[in-house]
Amino acid sequence: LGAGQSIQQTYDLTRYLEHQLRTLAGTYLNYLGPPFNEPDFNPPRLARAERVPSATVDLDLWRGLTDNARLAANYRAYSRLLCYLRVLDGQVGTAELRHRLAHFCASLQGLVLSIGGVMSSLGYPLPAGPAGPPAPPGAPAAPNDFLKKMDDFWLLKELQIWLWRSAKDFNRLKKKVPPAVVTLRLEARGF
Amino acid sequence: GLVQSCGHIIPESPVLALGSNFTALCILNESCLDFGNIYASQIIWKIKNRVVPKEQYREINRTVSSVTFNDTSLLATPLTCNILADGQIEQNIYGITVTVGLAPEKPENLSCIVHQMARFTYDMTCTWNPGRHTFLDTQFRLRYSWPEETFPDCIPKDVNNSCTIADIQFFVNTEIWVEAANALGKAESDPLVVDPVDIVKPLSPQNVSVSSGALPNFLKLFWENWISDTVMTLKFNIRYKIVGDTDWMEVPLEDTASPRTSFGIQGLRPYTKYVFSIRCMKEDGLGYWSDWSEEKTGITAAD
Repeated sequence: LGAGQSIQQTYDLTRYLEHQLRTLAGTYLNYLGPPFNEPDFNPPRLARAERVPSATVDLDLWRGLTDNARLAANYRAYSRLLCYLRVLDGQVGTAELRHRLAHFCASLQGLVLSIGGVMSSLGYPLPAGPAGPPAPPGAPAAPNDFLKKMDDFWLLKELQIWLWRSAKDFNRLKKKVPPAVVTLRLEARGF
Repeated sequence: GLVQSCGHIIPESPVLALGSNFTALCILNESCLDFGNIYASQIIWKIKNRVVPKEQYREINRTVSSVTFNDTSLLATPLTCNILADGQIEQNIYGITVTVGLAPEKPENLSCIVHQMARFTYDMTCTWNPGRHTFLDTQFRLRYSWPEETFPDCIPKDVNNSCTIADIQFFVNTEIWVEAANALGKAESDPLVVDPVDIVKPLSPQNVSVSSGALPNFLKLFWENWISDTVMTLKFNIRYKIVGDTDWMEVPLEDTASPRTSFGIQGLRPYTKYVFSIRCMKEDGLGYWSDWSEEKTGITAAD
């Protein structure tokens, strides 16, 4: 698969994940119950939530990212988000939700692989490990059920923002890296 | 008390390739020799109850006799080792079951299709040609993987030429192959590498309705697409006929080659009842047409 096609496929997968997460997050927040499923619930981001890689980034900084840095940030974020999501997947009480989470985790695993494929096709090395400081050893589990649910809430929220950001990342990359066919034609004309 | 057997056959319960040759050994216990005054030369080999011709025997030594079959297709179960001691009745020493069959051939013509089962549910069914009958218990497994990620095998139930994987993932190139294995060997099909989103047969357009306006030659169709555009955008094929007619007319494919949920049809006869049906597939032409939708009728306005 050429770089262009690989990026297109990764972009399509990102949008598909956004679509899946839209319904999945709603179902999961209902599973958590009030106040987490209330539309205007907008809690402060607690220190605990820093473990989850934040998708928020300064716009100019984001624009200035090199392709390699842009892809590496995505790769590290989803590798880490996947770890947290798999923990979530193992604790959910309802079979239907567990099934949908498992399917989503597999899709997210596919995204990590796809991003890795794009990086390889562009000649970039894969990042060695997830970004940011690893969770401090012995990071305490949530001391109570409410904070546990808050952790889950922030995980899903950050995941939604990351997918929204990634769609823009890959859309930007798509424009910079034409599909293989076009490349061939350019080369054929001696460009 | 426990009756101790006077010998045994090796190999114990062989599985043999059809058409190959086979040799078995019957080994008498020394203890029986002394007690029963019996020797390997007195051994009689039988298939079921039919005596094997003596030319196929060979006395290896005092306690061991061998029998050789140049073509295992003549073999059957059980193969027994029996002794006919002087002045006594024939006695069975030991018996084995013999299974004859063929190693599996390489599964061919692997092909897969992703059926949209419900709005968010996609199952992938793969079919293949299992190859010759092997006469043996042969296990088929449908295997699929991504680079660095392997998924649980799909084990066919009651058939040996198809399997369905639930909840297939899209937008990741997936390597799919079939493995066949039995006691005589293993064979793998050529791998199929595909993005499952390119082999989808979507659900047909749902909730089709026909609305007639004031124009006598015009009807408008409406429907719902039950596949998210984050999975794929669709193109359509619309057919229609006057109720009671046998031949369908089709809207030119180029007119419905882009995503939509309605279409107006012109050039119809005034005050006439028409029946319509629609199908859809991925806009870029990869994958399969859905089934035709439920048929819906509409009547054009009078002139």
